[in-house]
Amino acid sequence: MAVFADRYPDEAKVVRAALASSFLALLIGGAMGPLQTLHRIDYLRIMPSETYYTVLTLHGVALVILFTIFFLVGFYQWAITDSLDRPSEDIRVTWLWYGLMTAGAAMASIAILGGFTDATDISASVLFTFYAPLEAHWLFYAGLTTFIVGTWVAGADWFRSWWNWKKENKGEKTPLRTFMVLTTMLMWYLATIGVAAAVLLFLLPWSLGIIDSVNPLLTRTLFWYFGHPVVYFWLLPVYMIWYVILPQIAGGRLFSDALARIVFVLFLVLSVPVGIHHQYLDPGIAEGFKFLSASNTMFLLLPSLLTAFTVVASIEHGARQRGGEGYFRWLTALPWRNPAFTGMALAGLMFAAAGFSGMVNAGMNLNYLVHNTMWVPGHFHLTVGTAVALTIMAVTYWFLPRITGNPIFSMRLGLVQVLTWFVGMVLMSNAMHRVGVGGEPRRTADPFYDFEFEGVIGSIGELHLQIGIGAIILTLSLVLFFIHLIFSWFGISATTKITSEAPIRKPLSGKEHAPAVLENFRLWVAIAAVLIVLVYTIPIASIIAEGGLFGPDVSPVRPDHAPLFSLSGLATEWVVAGLAGAVGAIAAIAGVLR
Amino acid sequence: MATEQPAADQTDDIQREIGHDEYDPIGTLALVFIYFIIVSMLWIFVYFVEFLPRISPMVVF
Ligand code: HEM
Ligand SMILES: [Cu+2]
Repeated sequence: MAVFADRYPDEAKVVRAALASSFLALLIGGAMGPLQTLHRIDYLRIMPSETYYTVLTLHGVALVILFTIFFLVGFYQWAITDSLDRPSEDIRVTWLWYGLMTAGAAMASIAILGGFTDATDISASVLFTFYAPLEAHWLFYAGLTTFIVGTWVAGADWFRSWWNWKKENKGEKTPLRTFMVLTTMLMWYLATIGVAAAVLLFLLPWSLGIIDSVNPLLTRTLFWYFGHPVVYFWLLPVYMIWYVILPQIAGGRLFSDALARIVFVLFLVLSVPVGIHHQYLDPGIAEGFKFLSASNTMFLLLPSLLTAFTVVASIEHGARQRGGEGYFRWLTALPWRNPAFTGMALAGLMFAAAGFSGMVNAGMNLNYLVHNTMWVPGHFHLTVGTAVALTIMAVTYWFLPRITGNPIFSMRLGLVQVLTWFVGMVLMSNAMHRVGVGGEPRRTADPFYDFEFEGVIGSIGELHLQIGIGAIILTLSLVLFFIHLIFSWFGISATTKITSEAPIRKPLSGKEHAPAVLENFRLWVAIAAVLIVLVYTIPIASIIAEGGLFGPDVSPVRPDHAPLFSLSGLATEWVVAGLAGAVGAIAAIAGVLR
Repeated sequence: MATEQPAADQTDDIQREIGHDEYDPIGTLALVFIYFIIVSMLWIFVYFVEFLPRISPMVVF
């Protein structure tokens, strides 16, 4: 088969543009990483501590909003075009959403960068969660909105392709990659309602002076309504890569098409009604609803465990086709010299470890121990900072030739790059977790409060050294990635052109075995909506009743005040939680059995 | 541009085709088992973590 770049040159151009934006964000955000790390462990301070928060905002926004989402749209455009085997319906619309996203990203970035200079009073040092009462320049909120509207148009663009494809392919099941794109985008539409409401109804008018104040707990709750599902927006493209591309590279076939679809449907259903698990320590939300979110969160482990099983089984299939034998010896038959494979395998391994710290975060009692400590950045540098970021970097070694037509500059250099990322992150993240358990706070330029740190093994000084060394190794890995990227992308010193590619091999158990109900998107969106209503209506209503729609009379929360929490209320909530979880599980099982 | 080549995909070194019915993922089972043991051990370990810091309560508002 001819290479994608030759089959669909116009679409490949959009994919390349989106990837270029994504990697630019990685470069900028990544460069902030060592700066802030060395500052906070007090090894190298080249900025005043006030500037730390501007740096950290840039780090957060550039990496977890721009880098991840620009990659997603580029990669998904490829997935749609390649799996439906049809060009974009109207390439101008495709460029339109890319343009909107770029404009939005530029606006938000300018607002953040303004924080570095006194020449303008534009600034947005509000960290990527932009909690009120921290206030950013309106340009920041307007930029975020424009960016998200761009993603909405992208989703519509892909749905349109699918609808037209269906008209021409009546009775056929949607190809797996398209199915994954569509479920992700449905989840995203539900999720972004929260951030759109927070920004458009409250924060943007507030920053423009149209309204005087906001209710901080309300905007914060709306943020986390979006803030949890956004992690699946980072993760689902990575899952697609693990399901579809990783077995391909390992020389095997996806174990089960149906299982992969079920996992994506479970994420659509369960991603949103869990956001309150980021607010276990927020006063003003009833315990019962925190518990509801905690139990929904535990349900979310299911699709991740299903993924671990399916992906590992698919890789093992590859190993056995390549001659692997035994219970463990097959592992040696895998293509470990290929950076795309090794990078993703290590990313997956880190994700398993992140599951451990994630369970601690999700448990209400243990969360109190680690809340707002360095444990939390330790956790998400394993998830988004490695499972996602390292998979994206690794897949580039597979993906780039398909969209540029140029060969990879050096597989060996690529291998060094993914390995250094892994080693650096093991050091940095492990030590972050541990200083966190000791009580060191996150999000501060000067964490040296007066607390007695009692390390189990090693002193806080040693752990800081580990964090510093880890950060330097990570930075080195980034530098290697970019050198390599530029050489490969532009085919510098390449003597050949890539002209053909192998088609993706069919799953072992194919889509003909996937139950038809999985394609009933209306049903899944309806279940998701019911869960959201169950989980969020009462908390939001009581937040508004307590603090007012716009504040500012946010009355201090008094423990002796009207019972937000009562025994009968708790009992009801437990029943509702059980039911809500059961509905999702039964629906999924019924779907499988049909 | 001297030569043209396909994107490498590790298709070349497949020695045998294993179909759906011949494939039994025992290696995956073995790994899942190890994972299960680790999770169980961590579960027990958490008890100690929660009490190890010896500062009580840990979170002071
Ligand atoms: C060179 C590599 C990196 C280094 C050295 C690094 C270092 C750090 C450190 C030390 C913090 C905590 C700062 C604080 O709480 O005071 C942090 C926060 C953060 N990092 Fe990284 N990081 C790196 C790469 C990444 C990547 C690849 C991602 C995501 C794709 C990421 C996402 C984040 C996020 C979201 C935060 C939280 C920002 C906030 O609290 O508002 N980082 N990083
Ligand atoms: Cu979450």
